[in-house]
Amino acid sequence: MSVKRSFGLATFCVWLVFAHAAASAQQLGPAAAAGAGAVDGASAGSGEFRSLDEEVQSLKEEVLELNRDLFLLEEELLFPANSQVAFFISMDVGEYFALDSVNLKIDGKEVANYLYTERELGALLRGGVHRVHMGNLKVGEHELVAIFTGHGPNVREYRRGATMSFNKGIGAKYLELEITDRASKQQPEFAIKEWE
Amino acid sequence: MKRMKVVLLGLLLVAVPGLFAGSSLASSGLAGQEAPDFVLKSASGTNMRLSEYRGKVVMINFWATWCGPCRQEMPLLDDLYTRYERVGFSLLGVNIDDDSSRAMQMAEELGVSFPVLFDERKEVSKLYQVEAMPVTVLVDREGKVRHVHLGYKPGYEEKYLTEIRSLLRE
Repeated sequence: MSVKRSFGLATFCVWLVFAHAAASAQQLGPAAAAGAGAVDGASAGSGEFRSLDEEVQSLKEEVLELNRDLFLLEEELLFPANSQVAFFISMDVGEYFALDSVNLKIDGKEVANYLYTERELGALLRGGVHRVHMGNLKVGEHELVAIFTGHGPNVREYRRGATMSFNKGIGAKYLELEITDRASKQQPEFAIKEWE
Repeated sequence: MKRMKVVLLGLLLVAVPGLFAGSSLASSGLAGQEAPDFVLKSASGTNMRLSEYRGKVVMINFWATWCGPCRQEMPLLDDLYTRYERVGFSLLGVNIDDDSSRAMQMAEELGVSFPVLFDERKEVSKLYQVEAMPVTVLVDREGKVRHVHLGYKPGYEEKYLTEIRSLLRE
């Protein structure tokens, strides 16, 4: 090994030793003073904890706000308002039809196939509205085909479709797929309507 | 030169196990992550969604009618389900056969009482990166994947028992 290299290595080792000694001295320093300041330390400590706790709380709030902002930004990026289209499902009393699943096709392409659990059905029957699909569409005419599968009167398996052509203009479009009971025919009715 | 070789060897000894550890984790890469949500039709006709089981310890067992170890394992899983269901444990048996009628037949033959779900489109098995049969995933009350077991050998049910009891106690 060359002289220069050996000198460099030796210098590095000496530096390491001094650095460790300095760190140990720093640790000893506070420990030595702990006994003398014990009484003051207790009240200062609780004050420190409180301020730390407040800092943590405010950090948590910031994180939640950031999360919310990110979510909104993501939605804005992925589904900008000028091409956004959203489809919602709502149900009436549900005496003549128990919904099992909904299949949506736009211009012949399947965009959603959603299975409903009992809990979700309960929410729909209590007035809930479910956003079954959100996507982007170009301006112009489009065709929506919605196929509802479930159980009809007398617990018979039921499969009904509803078709609608709609015009996508500039701006977001919202369509509601409504399932209602038609008492006069004792059959469910499926309708698609646009939200203004 | 000799010293350089020693240093290089030392670095390799540290780095290589790390590489192998990374690749063995890839097959059970879901551990520690939130269990992907899914909804499937069950043998009883109702639709079942994983997220509605939040708050319970859930075991998801992927199986198929052509899988021999699955036949061995399922009755043992049924015992666990019967024993711990009333204290917050649920078991979802996800079948991946193309024909769900064969799966129903096998479930009836084996006499299992836990819910059997049908993943004919293989969408859920893709979500869970199922590449071998059976695969058993344990999800905690917070919805996080905690254990993943690939395959089945006699004795695995003891591991499942220990893990279920530990998760139920949390």
